[in-house]
Amino acid sequence: MQVKNDEDARKQAQEVKQAAEEAAKRDFHRYFYTLENDRVAMLEQQRLDELDRQVEAEMSGQQGGDAANGVAPGAQQGSLSSANLGASSLIMKHLLTRIDQQRSKVKANDNQLRRLISEVRKNRSKWASEEKVGQEELYEAAERVLQELKAMTEHSGPFLNRVSKREAPDYYNFIKYPMDIGTMMKKLKNFQYKSKKEFVGDLHLIWTNCLKYNTDPQHFLRKKALIMQKHTDRLVVLIPDIVVRDRAEVEAEERRNASLDADLDGIEDSDEEVPIMASRGRKAPSKGKKGNTANRKAPPTIQEGTPGLESKPLLASLGSSSNFRNSSLRAESDAPMEGNSNGFVTPPPGTITPNGPNGVNGTANHADPSDADGASNPGQDVTSEDPAVEDLDYRTWKQVTKKARATAAAERNQLFRGNRINPDAPALLRSRAGMRRWMRQQKILNEEDPSADPSSAETSKETLPATGESLAEGIEEEDDTLLPDYYDPVSAIPDIDDRLKWENDSEGNIILRAEECFHIVPKEQFVARESILTRKMDANMRQMQDTRKIVAKIGIVKQMQLQSQMYQNQFPKYQPLPLAEADVEPMVVTDDGPFMAPVLCRSALQRTVCKIFYHAGFEECQPAALEAITDLAGHYFKNLAQSLKVYTEAPKVRQAGVSTTSGEPVFQRRFSFEESVLHTLNQNGHDVEALESYVKEDVERVGSKLSVMHERMKSHLAELLRPALDPAAGSDGVGAFNDNSEQFIGGDFAEDIGEDFFGFKELGLDKEFGLASLSVPLHLLQNRVYGAHQAQNTSSAAIPGIIMDQPAPFEPVTVENISREIGIVQDFFRARLAANGDQPLVEDDDLPAKQRFPRPRLPPTGKISSPRKRPLREQQQMAKKKRKMEEGKEEAGSGNSKPFAKPAGKLRLEMPPPREPVAEPEKGEDTVEQLMSPESM
Amino acid sequence: MAADKSAGQAIAKYKTEIQQMMFVSGEGGEPSTETTTLVEQIVQQQVQEMLRECNTLATRRGSRSISTDDLMFLIRHDKAKLSRLRHFLQWKDVRKNVKETDDRGGDAAGDLAGGDEVLGSAVVGQGGPAVDLKKNKKTRVDLVWDVQSFFSEQVPPRDDEEDEEEEEMAQATLQRLKNADERTKKMNREDYMHWSECRQASFTFRKGKRFREWAGFGVITDNKPNDDIIDILGFLTYEIVQTLTEEALRVKDAEKLYRAANRAETTDGNTRKRRHEAEPGLFSGPEEKKEPVQPRHIHEAFRRMQRPNTKSRAMQVFTRQVHRRPLKLI
Repeated sequence: MQVKNDEDARKQAQEVKQAAEEAAKRDFHRYFYTLENDRVAMLEQQRLDELDRQVEAEMSGQQGGDAANGVAPGAQQGSLSSANLGASSLIMKHLLTRIDQQRSKVKANDNQLRRLISEVRKNRSKWASEEKVGQEELYEAAERVLQELKAMTEHSGPFLNRVSKREAPDYYNFIKYPMDIGTMMKKLKNFQYKSKKEFVGDLHLIWTNCLKYNTDPQHFLRKKALIMQKHTDRLVVLIPDIVVRDRAEVEAEERRNASLDADLDGIEDSDEEVPIMASRGRKAPSKGKKGNTANRKAPPTIQEGTPGLESKPLLASLGSSSNFRNSSLRAESDAPMEGNSNGFVTPPPGTITPNGPNGVNGTANHADPSDADGASNPGQDVTSEDPAVEDLDYRTWKQVTKKARATAAAERNQLFRGNRINPDAPALLRSRAGMRRWMRQQKILNEEDPSADPSSAETSKETLPATGESLAEGIEEEDDTLLPDYYDPVSAIPDIDDRLKWENDSEGNIILRAEECFHIVPKEQFVARESILTRKMDANMRQMQDTRKIVAKIGIVKQMQLQSQMYQNQFPKYQPLPLAEADVEPMVVTDDGPFMAPVLCRSALQRTVCKIFYHAGFEECQPAALEAITDLAGHYFKNLAQSLKVYTEAPKVRQAGVSTTSGEPVFQRRFSFEESVLHTLNQNGHDVEALESYVKEDVERVGSKLSVMHERMKSHLAELLRPALDPAAGSDGVGAFNDNSEQFIGGDFAEDIGEDFFGFKELGLDKEFGLASLSVPLHLLQNRVYGAHQAQNTSSAAIPGIIMDQPAPFEPVTVENISREIGIVQDFFRARLAANGDQPLVEDDDLPAKQRFPRPRLPPTGKISSPRKRPLREQQQMAKKKRKMEEGKEEAGSGNSKPFAKPAGKLRLEMPPPREPVAEPEKGEDTVEQLMSPESM
Repeated sequence: MAADKSAGQAIAKYKTEIQQMMFVSGEGGEPSTETTTLVEQIVQQQVQEMLRECNTLATRRGSRSISTDDLMFLIRHDKAKLSRLRHFLQWKDVRKNVKETDDRGGDAAGDLAGGDEVLGSAVVGQGGPAVDLKKNKKTRVDLVWDVQSFFSEQVPPRDDEEDEEEEEMAQATLQRLKNADERTKKMNREDYMHWSECRQASFTFRKGKRFREWAGFGVITDNKPNDDIIDILGFLTYEIVQTLTEEALRVKDAEKLYRAANRAETTDGNTRKRRHEAEPGLFSGPEEKKEPVQPRHIHEAFRRMQRPNTKSRAMQVFTRQVHRRPLKLI
């Protein structure tokens, strides 16, 4: 019964400890722990690893020393296990994958399968031995205690290594049996402990040694030793009280007791756990997971047989009772049985990690944290000596996660080399397990937190089973850590919009949800909003365009007056297009936020700038100037926005004289919206008055000025074209003749020039007619304009200016009617006809424009000073003719001589006189040269 | 102010003119030489700065000599002044035409070159042909950046168009005239004669060479400026002195008020007595001559006018650049 009591106490302590840890673990999600201690943890871990390696090295040195030691089998096993480790786990994995694939064919439920697997999978630890009974359990527990003590680095530091003579020269005078954790590790590995008692004795030896040597009650080491002692006391309870015995001895005893099996059933029922655990190759007290993974990876193949011998009967006999126990357990805590008894190694799929059960029965276990607090309070008392008193949660966190954190920190550390990112570091890869863990943690958090969004919790619940975890993955889960997910950002899964999820409907088709998240960019985002101001500006710009059209006409008219010749397309018609702002074409986007398109925004701003330029009177602008102004405008607007932001985000101020009922001051914005805007404007050199004056001066007044200009231009053009049509003239222009039609005689054209251009004054005409001005009306000079107009618009056939009928065209001179001509020219025409091949002669004016002879011009003197130059073509013709004639002369002889041989120059000179009177009536059509001559009056 | 004492003596070329101008602007007393020298220095600096700016503008236009447009461009933001300037130029045209057409009465018009209002009244009073005046008035001075420049063809305005700006111009002028009227209200005949003589003071009129040297023509810019430019500068310098004096008078008044308030505070005991003394009673002696404006007042007035406006800093709001303030034109 004594034994049983011990067992109970042990179990209870174990449970308390576990509960405390789990409570702490649960709380891990509630707090955010900073990473600042990770480095410390890492460094400490490095020290511990160093110690381990040292122990290892020393041991291997020993082994080299005496190979035939009793230690050898254990060591051999250790190496064997590590050698077989890879293969065994691989085999296991393949097996499980296979089972997963064929899951439907296996007629066993999950629980059965799992149990089966856990039995098959003999993860015997390195401590297991065929010869020694109980060694595995004892040593596993002892090692864990040692590890834990060691891990309390802030206190355990001084006790890790043997005290050296250098540190304390007189140490060995006082201490006869020195002991330290390192030595204990060595002893453990050498299987030097036979019982719990020996182990615990050594542990206490360390602390008592310290207390003995450091007698000063204020000594810091004493404090540490005391804390360590306290911890030891707590932990030691967890070690099963086992004395390691030889197998032969045990078997003999068993045979002796075989007959008493039935009687012992009851007893074994009570402490069934240990044998079960032992038979399964499990460590009995499953507490935390850290540092255990290596231990579990024992070769299943070698030792399978022998422990089975021992465990099988037990298992067989206890089958029903263990089930009973499990069911009772389940009733009590609602936890899946493997969750507790199997120590998290092969937990059921779906709730694989310890977190799973914790999460599920978070409420059921709620009494546990208080127990844990109670249990750890003594420890707290001790630590209260410690100057650095820490929060219990935090301390637990630090202890439990130390190794994991250290590993994480070390991994992080590896990414860097000398404060720089190490390009050779292996890439960070997501693992399925990691992501699943992350999801699970999220789920737990959602479940724990009632305020969490119910929909998201639902979705995570829905989706989790759908992911279909396989058994194989469950096994990969082994190296689960307690670290919160922010230690593993690689595995984090971003929140995915529901609409973007890949989901199938009942028929297996993909549900397309694209329409829900696509939407069209709202219109009018990139055009100026219509406002009173823009309407006014647009009106101004239209006005400008209209006026410019008129101006272009005026320009053409003026140009026509100056120029003697015109070309068909000399005056391109000014046809401005109305200014219209084009919006972007309909576009589909997936995001909800504002539509950002810097290039587009810039061009929109450019267009606005361009418009303002146009409004300011520029017809065109250079691209470089436009770019520069756009940059400036963008900068300015950025400043505006920034200042507005500064003013709106100014810290709130206490509202004077107002407070809530509870006496708390009421805070209000530092600036009201109007104030912010005004401040912003002022900051950027503007104020409301300036803006108003812009609208008044630069838009409205410009608008009125423009309309005035428009009127002015219009009337100017009208004057240019039809000066007679002043208001007095009436609509049909008859009125213009009322005052003796002086306008038509005089006009005020010459007055503008400021000269007596036509010499009227000289002639005394002004006195004779009493003319006020001496100018020619402008419209009389407009014939050309009309001419050009007519040439362009051939459709208007009738020329309104000509009242008289056209005289009948001259009959062309032919061979037949030549006799009707005057006798003296008959010879001439005959010669021309002969030259023309007896074809009718063409009138000069009817010739194509280029072949026409330039019309001779009489200088004011009336003398023809020099003979006209012959055009090149004609010269050639003449030369040809000459040659022909000479040939003809030779052929025909001299008898048939005609008055051919007139000199060419004379011939040309004779031509104009008969033409001159002919050309006169055609003046209406063709007044190009005569325009400025007095005769045209 | 760059000039030191010795230079200050050297450049005092316009003492009388400045005194007269200040008198017209409301300064009752006789300003000291220091004051006038200071004013002169300020005016000179302003003129030189203007010429420099104009030269830059002209260079940018691709021209080697400055034009009247450049000068007008410099003061484009001061609408009132600009309109006065245009008014002035308009009447200058009128004067020229009158002079040309009317040889016999020309001497009177030619003599009156100073204040524009005087000129206007003189011309009208002279009995010149009203028709002529009207006709001449139409040839108003256009600003190059005004609406007319939007179009490639220039068209003379029609008669029936009334100009809003002209009305505004008249407003500004009227305000000026009103001020002058206030000042001259209490003057007797001799004083008024003196006053109207003073109004004709000018930096430029019949002092062309002196002004050119003084303003730095030939050094800063072209040596042979247009007549119009000289006239505009004459007008602007007059304006500068006037503005400066008016501001300085305000400063002086403020100073006086402040002094009075201070004295009242410090000597609380015998306040009443003092105040009694200060008030001119029936039997108190004749009011002593008003104290003229001191250089410190001018300094303060100048400082006030050079006060930076936020507009010039607008583009540097969120930068740490040190803003170099150019000289502000008064």
